Amino acid sequence: MNTLFVQHFGNDENRKLSYYTAQMMGYQAARRAILEMKPEQIIEDVKKSSIRGRGGAGFPTGMKWGFLPKESAKPKYLVCNADESEPGTFKDRDIIRYTPHLLIEGMIIGSYAIGCTHAYIYIRGEYTREAKILQEAIDEAYKNGFLGKGIFNSSFNLDVTLHRGAGAYICGEETALLNSLEGKRGEPRVKPPFPALVGAFSCPTAVNNVETIATVPHILNRGAEWYAKLGRIEKSGGTRLMSVSGHVKNPGVYEVEAGSITLRQLIEDHAGGCWKDKKIKAVIPGGSSAPVLTADEIDVVLDIEPFQKIGTMMGSGAVMVCDEDTDMVQLIWRITKFYAHESCGQCTPCREGCHWMEAILHRILHGAGAEKDLDMLLDIANNIGGKTLCALGDAAAGPVISFVKKFRTEFESYIRGQKKYA
Amino acid sequence: MPKCTIDGREVEFQAGENIVNIAKRVGVDVPVFCYHPGLSVVAQCRMCLVEVEKMPKLQTACSTPATDGMVVRTTSDSVKKARASTMEFLLVNHPLDCPVCDKSGECDLQDNSFAHGSAYMRSTEERRTFVDVDMGPVIQKNMNRCIHCTRCIRFGDEVAGVREMVAIQRGNMTDITTIDGLPLSTQYAGNYADICPTGALTLKDFRFKKRAWFLKKTPSVCGGCSKGCATEVHHENGSIYRTLPRVSPGVNKYWLCDEGRFLFNHAQEEDRVREVWTKTSSEATWAEEIQKFRSTLAQAGSVVFAVGSDLTLEEMKAIQVFVSQHAPSAVLGHFGTPGILTSSEDGPEDSILRMKSKTANLMGAEKLGFKPLQKASFDVAIVFTAGRAVLPELQAKHKIGVGLFITKEAERFDVVLPSLSMFEKDGTIVNHAGIEQRLRRVVPPRGHCKSISEVLMLLANTGKKQGVA
Ligand SMILES: Cc1cc2nc3c(=O)[nH]c(=O)nc-3n(C[C@H](O)[C@H](O)[C@H](O)COP(=O)(O)O)c2cc1C
Ligand code: SF4
Ligand code: FES
Repeated sequence: MNTLFVQHFGNDENRKLSYYTAQMMGYQAARRAILEMKPEQIIEDVKKSSIRGRGGAGFPTGMKWGFLPKESAKPKYLVCNADESEPGTFKDRDIIRYTPHLLIEGMIIGSYAIGCTHAYIYIRGEYTREAKILQEAIDEAYKNGFLGKGIFNSSFNLDVTLHRGAGAYICGEETALLNSLEGKRGEPRVKPPFPALVGAFSCPTAVNNVETIATVPHILNRGAEWYAKLGRIEKSGGTRLMSVSGHVKNPGVYEVEAGSITLRQLIEDHAGGCWKDKKIKAVIPGGSSAPVLTADEIDVVLDIEPFQKIGTMMGSGAVMVCDEDTDMVQLIWRITKFYAHESCGQCTPCREGCHWMEAILHRILHGAGAEKDLDMLLDIANNIGGKTLCALGDAAAGPVISFVKKFRTEFESYIRGQKKYA
Repeated sequence: MPKCTIDGREVEFQAGENIVNIAKRVGVDVPVFCYHPGLSVVAQCRMCLVEVEKMPKLQTACSTPATDGMVVRTTSDSVKKARASTMEFLLVNHPLDCPVCDKSGECDLQDNSFAHGSAYMRSTEERRTFVDVDMGPVIQKNMNRCIHCTRCIRFGDEVAGVREMVAIQRGNMTDITTIDGLPLSTQYAGNYADICPTGALTLKDFRFKKRAWFLKKTPSVCGGCSKGCATEVHHENGSIYRTLPRVSPGVNKYWLCDEGRFLFNHAQEEDRVREVWTKTSSEATWAEEIQKFRSTLAQAGSVVFAVGSDLTLEEMKAIQVFVSQHAPSAVLGHFGTPGILTSSEDGPEDSILRMKSKTANLMGAEKLGFKPLQKASFDVAIVFTAGRAVLPELQAKHKIGVGLFITKEAERFDVVLPSLSMFEKDGTIVNHAGIEQRLRRVVPPRGHCKSISEVLMLLANTGKKQGVA
């Protein structure tokens, strides 16, 4: 199996520029892009590579870049989303820790492709160590002429600013991120207009996930076709970094070619299977906002479309495994509490609904539930899903619906007093 | 012109128009909370969700511009369900204190609940609560009633030009408040209560005074400055309870300044002179004082008629005619705002509405040929005012006031004949831009106030008709 990232993970020494240039063709792709390629060519290559965004929505990256106007009186911005706050996700952290220059090189190529001269990386507030590592790498890149004025003696200039968030999940949503970057309250904006036309500081902007951007140098180095073929499913190229956690023997970040294995294979062959010789009860396959799968449903091909077909999502590639003893009621209460706590509060269904669902789940868990609560929960979740201003509402609703539908008996045992919250 | 179809009705629209406004033109009401035509669009409340053909999800009618050929449905089951659910969500934490809420009867939350909500509340959870907050002299906040539409935040930011209302905390505990709990600083704070779709922000001046449904509404014009903002005065049983702005796109749009809003209180002040008042006698009557007035006029050497530019065009004209017929040698001049003697000195006081001329009819006075009052000394000065013009410093042996005075002001005169406030008469005023506007009689005067034209008639009457007042 081809991997692009993981072989470089694990060793602190690898984050240095010396390692990057010696072992990873460091900054050659950027050099070639700036000196030999036209911006359109790069966008064309990224389109051909069939890479889809790794931040959660899986939007084709080349298409996103193509949406930015070519000619613009206003400056254009590339903003890297390093907020990585979807519970269960920790892949961007490894990219920043061990291959920060890969991200910076990706930023250079992306900025050149869309015509940006000042790019931002928005990193989650809790990543203090990672922010330091990344800033050191940025400084190193400046010192060596990869950033700043006249990069590779060309006329291309680029500054990269690292901006630290203050610890809000919602600031991972791209328009909330832009508001936060601008110093405003971290609340999603109404779309349209989309950031491609009205983004950071009201200028055309592309927002991309860390993994998405860090892949771009690979695409240029190895060729778009090669990258596209790594994916086994049409229009979804490359490898996926999977954050596997929960009740597995070997939690961690795994890299697999998209669509090459099943979810079960990822868990059993790569992550060592369920821990303590127990059986798997359920898997949350794409970050805590992805609808849960039962153990019977995990023979699904690991890629965006197959996941969608069975009613869940690949999201940020975070797989959380629950063993047979997992209390599903407690788990969904905890997940819902997270979304209720992180709701920005501007739109009605999410502000009121998430908290209401949390209150009901809390009540059920503490022995004060009623049978009718379950259908009410489903109804509330349906009233949130698809009605909110941003996708946080959907992120909160999907899990509740799937948990109640698939593990209804566990809720009922709490309601009927057969089970007590320990 | 592009066309779209709303509930089967085809309608033309202008590029950029939103579905809410287009729908209104064909009689389709899309319920809204956060949307306000005078503010930016944020699509936060989700009340206006409608079905748009070819779109997988319901769309917010406030933020979705129509496109040519678009087909919109506002009565489908999915739309009805979405509205009912938004209403339910909004009421999960809304107190049921309508019986003691000032907004009751004119509350968007009540109306939309009635039209789109359910009579049954499924939530049994405890409601979130906040303590009431005093927001300065104009507004009282009850956060429990807030539905987070953020209209107030946007009003401050976009119209009043002060970012004083903000959201703090987040999610379910989001609190809409002022920065550091400071009192509101804008001179337009009353609008916060107008645009609040619930009883979260209420006018202190109006709190607990009257149930909204008892109020009669009379459209009028504000007499607070030369802007001429369109108003609606609410009253019952001869008492005025509040003034609200009336929509007037070319003048005040949706807004009113606090000074104009509370002007009516001056007309209702306890110590307003409502009976004939003289320095020397507490038993003066209209008949005697008119008689004396007449002989004073006949005997006086030099006389000045000082006319407040807060009077109506009709009153000014009547004075003009009276002077030409009965006191042709008298000096005639207008007064109003110190320092703003002519309309060329008038101008905007801020970038919103308020004008420098604090009287409404400066333009009208000029139109009739009145000149600013010059300083000089006279034997007799007669001062006409509706209570808004700042009284001039006049050198005169004998001073008569006709109009609205409070006792303290009356003490500067020998005689005061009580007349009408701008809420007690019909008439015309000409605003700074030359637009003629109708002032309406909202309430009858109390006590024995007489209109200026009646006073002038009595004076002109040489005694044929007796027994006045
Ligand atoms: C509530 C919410 C939280 C999100 N959090 C993140 C995040 O932490 N990191 C991220 O890359 N994308 C996150 N996203 C997705 C972004 O909005 C955006 O789609 C993404 O950054 C685009 O990058 P991509 O095209 O490279 O995937 C989030 C979306 C939502 C709705
Ligand atoms: S869905 Fe939630 S997080 Fe998104 S805008 Fe609405 S309140 Fe804010
Ligand atoms: S009126 Fe459209 S979302 Fe509030």
